[in-house]
Amino acid sequence: MLNDVTFGQYYPTKSFVHKCDPRIKLLALIAYIVALFLAKNFYGLALSFIVLAITVIAARVPLGKVLRSVKAIIFILVFTAVLNLFFHGGKVLLVHWKFIKIYQEGIIFTVFFIFRLFFLVMGSSLLTLTTTPVELTDGIESLLTPLKWIRFPVHELALIMSIALRFIPTLIDETNRIISAQKARGADFESGNIFKRIKAIVPILIPLLISAFRRAEELGDAMDARCYSGSKNRTKYKKLKFGWRDLICFLLFAALITGVVMFNIYAAQIFPQIYGYIKL
Amino acid sequence: MDEKQPAENVIEFENVKFSYPGSDGVFAVNGVTLSVKRGEFLSVIGHNGSGKSTLARLVNGLLEADSGKITVLGLDVSEGKNSLEIRRHAGIVFQNPDNQMVASIVEDDVAFGPENIGIKREEIGERIDWALKAVGMEEYRHSTPTRLSGGQKQRIAVAGVLAIKPDILILDESTAMLDPKGRREVIEVVQKLNKEEGMTVILITHFMEEALLADRTVVMNRGEIVLTGTPEEIFESGEKLEEYNLCLPRITEIINALNCAGMNIKNVLHPEELAEEIKQSFAAKGIKEAHSAEAEVTQINSAHEWDIDIKDLTFTYSKKSPFATKALKGIDLHIDDGEFFGIIGHTGSGKSTLVQHLNALIRLPQAEKKYRKKRVKKGKPAPVLPSITIGQFDLTNKKTDFKALRASVGMVFQYPEYQLFAESVFADVAFGLKNFNKNLSKEEIEKAVKESIEIVGLNYDEVKDKSPFDLSGGQKRRVAIAGVIVTKPHVLILDEPAAGLDPLGKKEIMELLHKLHREWCKTVIIVSHDMDEVAENCTKAAVISAGEVVMCDSPANLFRHTDELLSLGLDVPLTSKISAELEKSGIIINCDCTAGDFAEKVIGVYGGGENA
Repeated sequence: MLNDVTFGQYYPTKSFVHKCDPRIKLLALIAYIVALFLAKNFYGLALSFIVLAITVIAARVPLGKVLRSVKAIIFILVFTAVLNLFFHGGKVLLVHWKFIKIYQEGIIFTVFFIFRLFFLVMGSSLLTLTTTPVELTDGIESLLTPLKWIRFPVHELALIMSIALRFIPTLIDETNRIISAQKARGADFESGNIFKRIKAIVPILIPLLISAFRRAEELGDAMDARCYSGSKNRTKYKKLKFGWRDLICFLLFAALITGVVMFNIYAAQIFPQIYGYIKL
Repeated sequence: MDEKQPAENVIEFENVKFSYPGSDGVFAVNGVTLSVKRGEFLSVIGHNGSGKSTLARLVNGLLEADSGKITVLGLDVSEGKNSLEIRRHAGIVFQNPDNQMVASIVEDDVAFGPENIGIKREEIGERIDWALKAVGMEEYRHSTPTRLSGGQKQRIAVAGVLAIKPDILILDESTAMLDPKGRREVIEVVQKLNKEEGMTVILITHFMEEALLADRTVVMNRGEIVLTGTPEEIFESGEKLEEYNLCLPRITEIINALNCAGMNIKNVLHPEELAEEIKQSFAAKGIKEAHSAEAEVTQINSAHEWDIDIKDLTFTYSKKSPFATKALKGIDLHIDDGEFFGIIGHTGSGKSTLVQHLNALIRLPQAEKKYRKKRVKKGKPAPVLPSITIGQFDLTNKKTDFKALRASVGMVFQYPEYQLFAESVFADVAFGLKNFNKNLSKEEIEKAVKESIEIVGLNYDEVKDKSPFDLSGGQKRRVAIAGVIVTKPHVLILDEPAAGLDPLGKKEIMELLHKLHREWCKTVIIVSHDMDEVAENCTKAAVISAGEVVMCDSPANLFRHTDELLSLGLDVPLTSKISAELEKSGIIINCDCTAGDFAEKVIGVYGGGENA
């Protein structure tokens, strides 16, 4: 049953990564993605892997949890990888059988592509495994604050997100209850063709919608009664603070990007003999 | 404040009228004149739709009066610019704790109000400390509200309002959705705030026992204030209350019965006081120690065809995750065919999980499609597997016809009106019937639907084509019950059938259940946290606490264990409280815990006094 605010992936431990500021984690993830796409050779990729490995260890999250996110995209990964392999052009033709042509560049690109995506998904799932949705919302709000200058409704957006988060578990609970109630009245949601199944959803959907509207109305009243009147003259209690952990985190990812850029420039000089096989 | 100087009026209503749009000129509040003094504890009672909640919303401008004048702390509510100022001084706690929380962390939610009125960061922190301390929830500051019990959630909601530092605290049926423990928690907090902080409190409630705690009570009927006075005065007016669709508190009913038999009992409001009164009344007749006649235990003559047998039932939510919680820890329970059975326990005790097993909404592991027997390692005992049988249905067997089981074991969920969906009452009631038996002719369906709508006390021709959403709350619940009993189940299970209803609605629903028990279903099982409800209605009851059956017996025997029940955080019926009090002085009243029988036994002792 899903009935906790920690729905989704969050895995509670008290690790280094869990205690980092959500803003730094969000920025770190962006930095990581940038690094992955900046990397033009396997040195850079290897460096990205090392950073990922360090973070996974520091997060004290079971490896299986991190890998599970990859499972979800494995089909897309394989599919696009195969397409890349067959249709990537290049100079060194390795296989030519009927209409299939595989180039050396194609193989390198495909391997690169797989690792990139693999690391990317693992990196993002590490963020959601170590950060509660609430922290994430706070982080996003804080990062978006400069947009207030161009009249972007940052506060409203953040409030909408936090209310949505707050009500997801409540509505999941409610859905479960309605499903049970209709099942008890003999409703069958598992058999029949697609049209029958869609029709079977009606007895769940209508009560759920009605209840969501009722809740929205009551929440509106409660917010009014607690003096809500938009973002004007509003203060904010929670302030995110950077700590020493965040500094370490920052340094790590700054080092990563610097490293990747350095490798892009100087990689050819390290082992010139094999350079042709490890670059894009 | 100088004690001699009369306290100022913080709220004043002057001939206030209000009607909702589209109500054809029917006034929800009709000419109310009322003033509330600073520091007063006022309770407002009235049936559903009597206008009590509307009153609360008028105070802080959530609704705007059609005519008349409302002033709060000297500020005119009708002037738009005052509304924010008024809301700072008059906070409302609403009924459903889930629907008034904005944030997913307790402290963030409490901070919401102060943030809105622009309090500085450091002071918000202090206010959170203070407000959470006032409601006794300091340790939950960083918790998530969804994980808390109903009473705890509602206390957080109270803290959220307190953090704005209002002068007036209005509770709009804030205890209606809570179990007795939660209700006690919230009421204690409110009483404390009133006494220690001098906060003005307006308590709108269905529970007569709560209304008694106030300095002054106001009774509303059809938008008008019909009675005002101290709680004692109000409840002395006996029959009048029934005219306003209200019930007397159970204690007053007992006192009336005793006085009818010639005992001279003062109109008291607490069980200890009543016990004292009875003692004095006995003493006046020279009765010091007494022993009433034994209670009769209702014997159920049953064929045992539809006995329910539960053995070793365990259940864990979110198995194999860091959030795994054991809901049931080895339940053994036998329910005889034909019983009116009560399952008691507070929220989170596992009682709802238990009953959901009975019609296989939660399947036993052995009945799951993927289940494979585990190999037992040598030297280790075989794991104990749960088993449930209901009549001829074996719930451990994959091949059992679970659809037929659900047709025979009807299940009415909490707030069943929230499951209504169809365009007409007829279609909604027929939904279950058509699901279970696809070969019924039109006439057969019509006949069955008609019968079930009629037995729940509604007029078939009047309601069948109406949209269920146009009915009143009580009618909706009846339609929802009709939609379950339409298959003529042998066993009917109801989870909190009377939750959220006003006293009269509760009484009517319980009467309906007795009627169903007599004429329609053989076994009725109610899940409840209301001890008095169980004591008054059930032939047998089981107490569930923390996933285990603590006791299972007839109410008469069950509620003798007053101390044990209290130590589990459960309540005991009023009659047991009085009996326990009397027993201390050697007066033993053996009753079946219903108010009627209790009065009868006391009168029996009183009448036999001269001979003793």
